[in-house]
Amino acid sequence: MKKLSGAQFAALEMQLFLDTHKNNADALKSMRQYQRQAAEYRKEYEERFGPITHNDPFGDTRFEWLNAPWPWENESEAKK
Amino acid sequence: MWQYEKKLQYPVKIKTPNPRLAQIICTQYGGPDGELGASLRYLSQRFAMPYPELKGLLTDIGTEELGHLEMIGAIVYQLTRNLTIDEIKKSGFDAYFVDHTTGVYPSSASGVPFTAAYLQSKGDVLTDLHEDLAADATTTKEQPAFPRARKPLI
Repeated sequence: MKKLSGAQFAALEMQLFLDTHKNNADALKSMRQYQRQAAEYRKEYEERFGPITHNDPFGDTRFEWLNAPWPWENESEAKK
Repeated sequence: MWQYEKKLQYPVKIKTPNPRLAQIICTQYGGPDGELGASLRYLSQRFAMPYPELKGLLTDIGTEELGHLEMIGAIVYQLTRNLTIDEIKKSGFDAYFVDHTTGVYPSSASGVPFTAAYLQSKGDVLTDLHEDLAADATTTKEQPAFPRARKPLI
């Protein structure tokens, strides 16, 4: 999760920079690189803990998104 | 439109509850310079922005502020987990508790409910950008104010 958040945050910072520097090809390249990295970490995380968004293809018969950890809860709350 | 990601922008894992601190941090949720005001400010002002750079920036920052709002909510929630009546009374959290129990409610530290009067959207690029600068400056005041407010309390 830390790796995913790190890559997402880096991509977001590049995105904010690009909002005011749209012709900066280096920044664009860097943003794409962080986005790809984030996509990899996301896949790793979701395989272990469950889907982060409704779109992610997990579960054939059950809506798995509900069971993935709620971000404000700890493990003991999740078991209730 | 927006799509939800079931994760925080940065993980929040608080082991020891602290209701007194929760009441202070709550102002960053729905207080005069909180994340709710920030996101509404940027997401409302962007409609009147004449340049793509500014429409993009206000959209992205306003969106990020919503992520901050969720983190602050998680902090307040975790700081008020499993409280005893004694802890609530001793910490001074009773004033919040009588109105909201441990529900996360957008209000300032002194208990004023969130109001849209905390922000402005004037339909003029320079006026709105000046307001954004002023709003941003408040965070430089909050950061030193937080430890100051905490010191005599803990």
